[in-house]
Amino acid sequence: MSDNRALRRAHVLANHILQSTPPSSNLSLTREVCLQYSPPELNESYGFDVKEMRKLLDGHNLVDRDWIYGLMMQSNLFNRKERGGKIFVSPDYNQTMEQQREITMKRIWYLLEHGVFKGWLTETGPEAELRKLALLEVCGIYDHSVSIKVGVHFFLWGNAVKFFGTKRHHEKWLKNTEDYVVKGCFAMTELGHGSNVRGIETVTTYDPTTEEFVINTPCESAQKYWIGGAANHATHTIVFSQLQINGTNQGVHAFIAQIRDEDGNICPNIRLADCGHKIGLNGVDNGRIWFDNLRIPRENLLNAVADVSSDGKYVSSIKDPDQRFGAFMAPLTSGRVTIASSAIYSAKVGLAIAIRYSLSRRAFSVTANGPEVLLLDYPSHQRRLLPLLAKTYAMSFAANELKMIYVKRTPETNKAIHVVSSGFKAVLTWHNMHTLQECREAVGGQGVKTENLVGQLKGEFDVQTTFEGDNNVLMQQVSKALFAEYVSCKKRNKPFKGLGLEHMNSPRPVLPTQLTSSTLRCSQFQTNVFCLRERDLLERFTSEVAQLQGRGESREFSFLLSHQLAEDLGKAFTEKAILQTILDAEAKLPAGSVKDVLGLVRSMYALISLEEDPSLLRYGYLSQDNVGDVRREVSKLCGELRPHALALVTSFGIPDSFLSPIAFNWVEANAWSPV
Amino acid sequence: SQVLVEEKSSVRILTLNRPKQLNALCFNMISRLFQLFLAYEEDPSVKLVILKGQGRAFCAGGDVPPVVNNMVQGKWRLGADFFRDQYTLNYVMATYSKAQVSILNGIVMGAGAGASIHGRFRIATENTVFAMPETALGLFPDVGASYFLSRLPGFFGEYVGLTGARLDGAEMLACGLATHFVPSSRLTALEADLCKVGTSDPSFVSTILDAYTQHPHLKQKSLYHRLDVIDRCFSRRTVEEIISALEREATQEPDDWILTTIRALKKSSPSSLKISLRSIREGRLQGVGQCLIREYKMVCHVMKGDLSKDLVEGCRAILIDKDRNPKWNPKRLEDMKDNIVDQYFERVEEEERWEDLKLSPRNNLRASKIAAKL
Repeated sequence: MSDNRALRRAHVLANHILQSTPPSSNLSLTREVCLQYSPPELNESYGFDVKEMRKLLDGHNLVDRDWIYGLMMQSNLFNRKERGGKIFVSPDYNQTMEQQREITMKRIWYLLEHGVFKGWLTETGPEAELRKLALLEVCGIYDHSVSIKVGVHFFLWGNAVKFFGTKRHHEKWLKNTEDYVVKGCFAMTELGHGSNVRGIETVTTYDPTTEEFVINTPCESAQKYWIGGAANHATHTIVFSQLQINGTNQGVHAFIAQIRDEDGNICPNIRLADCGHKIGLNGVDNGRIWFDNLRIPRENLLNAVADVSSDGKYVSSIKDPDQRFGAFMAPLTSGRVTIASSAIYSAKVGLAIAIRYSLSRRAFSVTANGPEVLLLDYPSHQRRLLPLLAKTYAMSFAANELKMIYVKRTPETNKAIHVVSSGFKAVLTWHNMHTLQECREAVGGQGVKTENLVGQLKGEFDVQTTFEGDNNVLMQQVSKALFAEYVSCKKRNKPFKGLGLEHMNSPRPVLPTQLTSSTLRCSQFQTNVFCLRERDLLERFTSEVAQLQGRGESREFSFLLSHQLAEDLGKAFTEKAILQTILDAEAKLPAGSVKDVLGLVRSMYALISLEEDPSLLRYGYLSQDNVGDVRREVSKLCGELRPHALALVTSFGIPDSFLSPIAFNWVEANAWSPV
Repeated sequence: SQVLVEEKSSVRILTLNRPKQLNALCFNMISRLFQLFLAYEEDPSVKLVILKGQGRAFCAGGDVPPVVNNMVQGKWRLGADFFRDQYTLNYVMATYSKAQVSILNGIVMGAGAGASIHGRFRIATENTVFAMPETALGLFPDVGASYFLSRLPGFFGEYVGLTGARLDGAEMLACGLATHFVPSSRLTALEADLCKVGTSDPSFVSTILDAYTQHPHLKQKSLYHRLDVIDRCFSRRTVEEIISALEREATQEPDDWILTTIRALKKSSPSSLKISLRSIREGRLQGVGQCLIREYKMVCHVMKGDLSKDLVEGCRAILIDKDRNPKWNPKRLEDMKDNIVDQYFERVEEEERWEDLKLSPRNNLRASKIAAKL
């Protein structure tokens, strides 16, 4: 017995060494009883034109997107690999942090050499901006590290020079930035201060004798932290610092400082350190910076808003320090815009993989000896994935709308952009994290394999809920802005205008007591519920704050105490704004199958948002019966969306190579290979 | 007969037999090949299909003049039928469950590439001349070329598809268009050996072919040595940018090859260049079926002639009058606007009973092991 086993083991080992294939007669025999991969395309049909749908979802610059997808696929720098007869491109996340950082930089050089960044800072206008946003989105679909590293250089460093700087800065830096002659980073966050930028501790003084600014890190908590690019590659940085002129603090200002020379040596009076290994984004070299009385020329103050004259006088066109700070921060919205849309593309990757897998993987039979059931044919599996799919659709339109208002911005729209981008950034990035977790679980064990992406993406995208404004802080800003709007309209007795609050000028909508299927799917009903919720929460929030203030609490402290209503209101506002964007997209379409399916998707979005929000019951907008009706309708919609599932994820337009092996022939991808 | 059939035990040898026309594929040949391929797939006694050409060509292209005649007479739908059948044949070959060995001992162009590259094995010889010359004819590389060209290394596919550059057997092997290179003197022996194949398992065919294959050296002036320049230039976003990138290269280091390349691009139909580039770029992201469906849309627009009549003009200048001096319209690249390019990729609207190319789903599970490795 034991002899036999030893013999068998020796035989197996010998086969491994000789790399011999098993006899083919056996192979064909076993194949008959083995599970076979059947591509979802064989059994599913497209009920609408997926190309038309992709046009709606991507919204702009499709040819440019396809071009850069191809650029990445055709280069070995992007880690091409074959799995199950298909080519995939995806970073090797098993590389060390140092290797990931170097390959990320090399990928950026490649994109640079192929003209991807042409005009990113030197061309202006909505067309150039949209093209740039589209290309950045595709970078992020390949790898979040690439898009973040590119984003820091162009959108943080580059835009700071462009928007905070004046002609002298533009001439000196913009073209050089576009060509990566300089590599920029952006030092705002400190160890002790993140969202509260006004509290940063870095101090800059002015020395009129040499006409220089002197930047100093006065204590450990003032060290710059998480500065993307600082650990390895950046040569220059924007420094955010308090500006002390003759003993008066003029508030936060931005300066340009060189941190490394052309050869990568760290400059004198600069200390740099690494932030170390992270849960994701290890292709980005986040670092820490200390300034030891670093002297920079007077011209390096980015002086669009305020300046210091050569003899040391502070001059600013904006006298109010609050407004001045606001003017500084306004251009930084671009970060929130790109994060919101990149979060949705990440959710699309996760869903495309999980849904394709669920259309080819079976588990358990319903009848004895019957065939096993396709995962997506389980109503429970539909309920897990299809509402997330519908939300991703709605939020895709929301991200597009946000991009549109951003690229067409005017001084008048700044406030609206601030509020909408705050809400969308928070809600869309949270949605991405929920989606990825559900997708990870929905594909089972395969989801924990890095090469299958869904699990890995959780780590890669998690930071989106924190950077460029912590989500919770951003949502508070939304409700504060709505509060201010409400108070100002009431005080001046003027109608609401802007931020989508016009519905507050009409009477409170009355909802029917009985909710039929057709009522629930009616866009007017859906709009009414969302408006009612927003209106009521805004009224409750303002009255609660007023009450607290009446009891002598400060306004700020009253806001803090009303955090529960603030949270509900922020969510109600954002979800309603998202609903509006998908309704607008639907309204523009001619009658046909694309419009029909988008109607189903929109109803799913509206109803799942209602189902998941306890405030509807808490504040009595819907009755217990109503809520039951909503829940039943969600389940019905799952069944109706099921036949469109494949077409809906195909319409995301993400090329096969940018998904992962389990989205395709996962049997062949895992087949025994002697290599 | 225009397609000769030999039966050798489990092997079928099909010979394209219109040597005077360099085996240009006509309607009848396509129908016949289609019939035969489908029948062999069903027939369990057939394990291997060999395709070759009579005379000095494997196949120099599709039989275009009759199609252009249809077009001129306003019967473009007849021409479209020709392409529909051809692309369907290409699809069957690309998803075939048995090995196809194409012996490319001579000219392989356009439709000839479509009838061979999609198959599992492509044998080049010292006589092979490969090209996709469509842009000089006012057409675009079709027959699934947007699939196989886009899968060549780097941006070599863009180069081959846009310039119509001629490749020899060694170059075909180097870039992956050919899977093997066998000197023509050994073809008879190879064929005899192949006829002993008794299984559809491609690894057996592979073993036989490997025994005959050689690794020819690229000639010293081979364009394949210019891959770095090709990648730098043909990766550009637009045709205009490709040409200016080439011109920049030429000023830095003028040489014949770059100048010839620029000349070829400037002589080609601007419409063709732009739709070809878009087609290859889209094809890179699509499966072979999607590529053929899209190419069918495109070719219908070409045939319909609403957007451009360059195919008629190219055919006149190259095939009929042979003055090699076509007058393209639009004449310049910048006149071929993106919104016109877009239209080639849309459905043919307002045309009675026009339908997308319908490719019946083929369970190519086994085929995925057999399909062309590109």
